Amino acid sequence: MRGFRKLALITTGVTYFLIFIGGLVRVAGAGMGCPDWPKCFGRWIPPTSIDQLPHGLDPTTFNFTLAWIEYFNRLAGVLTGLLILSMAIYSIVKLREHKKLLWPTNAALVLVAFQGWQGGQVVALNLKPIVVSMHLVLALIIVSLLIYVSYYATQLLDENVGVKRAMPAKAKMWIVLTYGLGILTILLGTQLRSALEVIRDNFTAMSESNWLASVGMIKHIHMTLGLITAGLGAHLGAKVMKRAVNPTSLVLKSAIGLMGLMTLQIVIGVVMLVWNMPALMQLFHLWIASIFVGLVLILYLADTNWGEVSNES
Amino acid sequence: MSREVQIAKTVLWSMLTVALLGVTALFVIDRADRSRQTLPVIDPVPAFQFTERNGEPFGLDDFAGKISLVDFIFTNCQGPCPVMGANMAMLYRFYEHSPSVQFVSISVDPARDSLNVLQAYARSLGVDDNRWKFLNGPLPAVKKLSEDGFHLAADQLPMGHSTRFVLVDQNTQIRAYYDGNDLIDFDKLHEDIRNLAGEKPAPVTRNDY
Repeated sequence: MRGFRKLALITTGVTYFLIFIGGLVRVAGAGMGCPDWPKCFGRWIPPTSIDQLPHGLDPTTFNFTLAWIEYFNRLAGVLTGLLILSMAIYSIVKLREHKKLLWPTNAALVLVAFQGWQGGQVVALNLKPIVVSMHLVLALIIVSLLIYVSYYATQLLDENVGVKRAMPAKAKMWIVLTYGLGILTILLGTQLRSALEVIRDNFTAMSESNWLASVGMIKHIHMTLGLITAGLGAHLGAKVMKRAVNPTSLVLKSAIGLMGLMTLQIVIGVVMLVWNMPALMQLFHLWIASIFVGLVLILYLADTNWGEVSNES
Repeated sequence: MSREVQIAKTVLWSMLTVALLGVTALFVIDRADRSRQTLPVIDPVPAFQFTERNGEPFGLDDFAGKISLVDFIFTNCQGPCPVMGANMAMLYRFYEHSPSVQFVSISVDPARDSLNVLQAYARSLGVDDNRWKFLNGPLPAVKKLSEDGFHLAADQLPMGHSTRFVLVDQNTQIRAYYDGNDLIDFDKLHEDIRNLAGEKPAPVTRNDY
């Protein structure tokens, strides 16, 4: 179990790193760095010089830098897939009686395999916005499953399982509300990005500030919901820090992280508005949102009665 | 270790990780941007109207939407032209799957290089489609296009033509020059063509005449 928990934690970390790389591919404009899938320019290792291009491919489509950025995303994806695969094997061989580990782990395996194939669709459909958004949503579901599994495994190993712990009253309501609004804001964010990309592709002469100005209502809805979510998140974090009884250090860290990240997210949002969406800020905006999902999920799990855990083990 | 220290440590490590990721990401984004960086715009190509070896007119508008590599040659040339022709033919074969790239050779000896002569010359270079254009136009207009349009020497034609290749972008602007003889830097040429291919054609803003 200890080994499984360690594996689960590492996999969760690597998956968050992968989400970062995925965002980096998008803001670097490297999504079509490899025009084919799963190979890159017909090779398992992308060409390092134009002489290595396979015959029959248009050499003007080749950009060494973009190909390797996209290729690195695929490598990290394969690594994540292999880690989840080993978790699944571990869970099937040794942890079959723990259904709450077995099922989510194997669901993550199925989803990560699907995600790999779906990544091919992202390329095949030439970065169609809805398909790119799907790629992110799937990643968030997979990382949520991994967090659930990590948390559950931690509970099974908890020596202080008898210690009475309690979250603040009505915390669950706030958690669910923050989580729901957060997910809605993220979905709207992907829609906003799609809308901006449509404008970019159709009005090439416009600058980034023109795009933002002409994108309309969806920008305001995303901003308003984002502000409310950030406020709720920070409030939730503060409440847990102050009122939770015997919180684990994971809960405390999550609460602090939530407050810090929500503040940061608002700052980044303002920077993006004022300085025409610098690529690095877009990247962190998305990545923080994905970490937000994880932290709120941890608080939710911490506010769940795990009484049955001790009975099961 | 007390809980406060433990939490402070986590916060510190998180900040370090984020800083490291941020710097790396900045570097990668910058590299990606630079990999798409554009060549300087040297000059627009002026209007002209010549005839292609197939008898069809070929003018400035036929540069629009294509990446073009242009040179000035004459078929009876014994000096640097065979090398230029061989280099151009090699590039012509290299880009056979790139419909957006075309090659344009303009004769500086129009009296001798009739359309039939150009046709035979094209065949001798292995040209079997119309991605490589061979143009015949009045000598004064050719001289003017070479000197004033492409900024290439054109003294005492046909012998005095330039041996350089000119890269023209999809918006009919001159973007780069290369030595068409032995000194040609193929790596740079390929890179420039790929960069141009990555640029979005600007919206049409041409004035109505």
